[in-house]
Amino acid sequence: MLEIKKLCAEVDGTEILKGIDLRVCAGEVHAIMGPNGSGKSTLAHVLAGREGYTVTSGSAQFNGKSLLDLAPEERAGEGVFLAFQYPVEIPGVNNVYMLKAALNGIRVYRGERELNAVEFLKLVKSRVKTIGMDEKLLNRPVNEGFSGGEKKRNEIFQMSVLEPRLAILDETDSGLDIDALKTVANGVNALRDGQRSFVIVTHYQRMLDYIVPDYVHVLSKGRIVKTGGKELALELEARGYDWVNDEVAA
Amino acid sequence: MDLFSESFGQALLLLEENGSDGMPPLLRPVQQDAASRFMAQGLPTIRHEDWKYTNLVPLSKRLFHVTAHDDREMLSHDVFREIRFSARCKYRAVMVNGGFRPDLSNLESLAHGLKVYSIRAASAAGHDDVANTLECSINRESALTDLNTAFLHDAVVVELGEGITVPEPLHLIFIGSGDASNFLRLPRVIIHASRNCSIRIIEEYVSVGHDQGLTNAVTEITLDEGATVHHHRLQVESREASHIGRIYATAAGNSRFLSDSVSFGASLARIDIDVALAEQGASCRLNGLFVAGGNQHVDHHTLIDHVVGNTHSDELYRGIIDERGRGVFNGKVIVRKDAQKISARQTSNNLLLSRYAEIDTKPQLEIYADDVICAHGATVGELDADASFYLRSRGMSEEDARALLTYAFAERVVEDIPVEGIRRWIENRFIRGGGYRDFMEALATA
Repeated sequence: MLEIKKLCAEVDGTEILKGIDLRVCAGEVHAIMGPNGSGKSTLAHVLAGREGYTVTSGSAQFNGKSLLDLAPEERAGEGVFLAFQYPVEIPGVNNVYMLKAALNGIRVYRGERELNAVEFLKLVKSRVKTIGMDEKLLNRPVNEGFSGGEKKRNEIFQMSVLEPRLAILDETDSGLDIDALKTVANGVNALRDGQRSFVIVTHYQRMLDYIVPDYVHVLSKGRIVKTGGKELALELEARGYDWVNDEVAA
Repeated sequence: MDLFSESFGQALLLLEENGSDGMPPLLRPVQQDAASRFMAQGLPTIRHEDWKYTNLVPLSKRLFHVTAHDDREMLSHDVFREIRFSARCKYRAVMVNGGFRPDLSNLESLAHGLKVYSIRAASAAGHDDVANTLECSINRESALTDLNTAFLHDAVVVELGEGITVPEPLHLIFIGSGDASNFLRLPRVIIHASRNCSIRIIEEYVSVGHDQGLTNAVTEITLDEGATVHHHRLQVESREASHIGRIYATAAGNSRFLSDSVSFGASLARIDIDVALAEQGASCRLNGLFVAGGNQHVDHHTLIDHVVGNTHSDELYRGIIDERGRGVFNGKVIVRKDAQKISARQTSNNLLLSRYAEIDTKPQLEIYADDVICAHGATVGELDADASFYLRSRGMSEEDARALLTYAFAERVVEDIPVEGIRRWIENRFIRGGGYRDFMEALATA
């Protein structure tokens, strides 16, 4: 599904990613862990197509297409979704209207019929239940005045409506209390259907208690330095990241 | 003498000969005085502080047709199909190139206590006293107001009786027409709101065809004690037309003047709104939304005069400038000596959508009292790149994301406008095919 090869990228002239190799197959959950500044969020943003992140070499194929050549909305159309670490507040734009415009943008990209308001709202209602989101948040401007937990829940809600093929969660667990974390994890798990893939970027192991990964990768200084199963996350939690670096250096 | 002044040769002769052209004869001396003042001064120039950013020299080099030409053959009821007006109101008065068109208007069975008439038609019907309505309100010092007074062809008078509340808006429509013709239109509106009455008026300026004319409009609003006037001024004339407009409002004790000025059209638009809060308890709320793209130039000058104490004003203007457009906002607030316990708030927010776009925004506060609350703020910014990326990463095209974010910027002004038709009409200028408000309605009832 996603095949990243020797991906290098820089921000403001500083090289952050120094040759990432990653292969994600349909239905898999990959966790990407690593210390601050290792390039985790950069990887997430490069995959979503954020401006200011310059890919200097390497490739990222998504279902046979070169992801890096596509505009952000085309990537969404292909089925890539990024849950933001810091979801943006957009005053004056209603949360659900934005989502309808987004979903219809994706549907038009795929040559599908646009959903009308009634059809769309029916879909929204069913997803709200799945995610356990407060319905009042639907009527508000995008993320404006949302608490940290509400913002993250809103990201997962959007994901559930847009039904991506590949969801990248960028530190979705940060700033969440344990209850919010469980809700978010339940939302993600509800979307696991054996086909949809997830890349979960996180500092901590605790989210992986609820969303059990197939693979855990350790990112350090712009490279994946270690890959293992879910046990690796527990080991990192217990021992920190330094031993991985030491092991690599040795 | 510039070409612009030469436009008035025939009209001046007519005035000097004291000939009747259908306007109330009592108005002649007033018009003659205004004409001589205007001919002596000419159009204001950029040397005048209030005209620093808006240059009328291109207009001064053009010859205009001053006589009203109401295009009776050209313009029929079809205009209501051709043009998307902001609202469909039960009551409307239509003027075409400065001439009143009873056949396009609907002033039948007006609400009790509401009178709307053309001063020319009233004069023709022998009501000479209507001249007083105009005469008493004409003492305004402005070259462009003089120009309007001197050569005006007609005026719309709106009178609302004491204690009357008119539930439906009154729609005043000013249509400019005439392919490649330089018509000078001089619309004049006189609104008198008696004690404790309440009315909503939409004043809409539109064009049909390649209108290249010049509108120089004057609206005078008198609010008696306790009256409320909600005035929506919408300007969407052709991109080849020029538009100058002025509102004078005088607010008596405990009256409330609410103004929305929306300017989307014309190559050059200049709108002045002067409000005198003349007695205790008077208040005003001035909102504005203007858009300039292409080579459009749009300039709003507002003046709020806190003549006495315990008067309140609140002002919010939002400007959106794209391409090589240019916007100007000058908000002047005067607090007179001893006008204590007043509050005045002013905000000017501006969005620049292109690197060539330009905005000049200037608060101008003159405060001669000490126990007052005055606040002002101005911002100039661009679209938020993070917000744009967020929307695109969700699947919206760059164009749609930009349109939605631009509309969102305007929304703060739109939400204060209580006429749903106007809100939708504005939305349609930003979002292709509209749909935002429809969806919000569906969402609210879902």
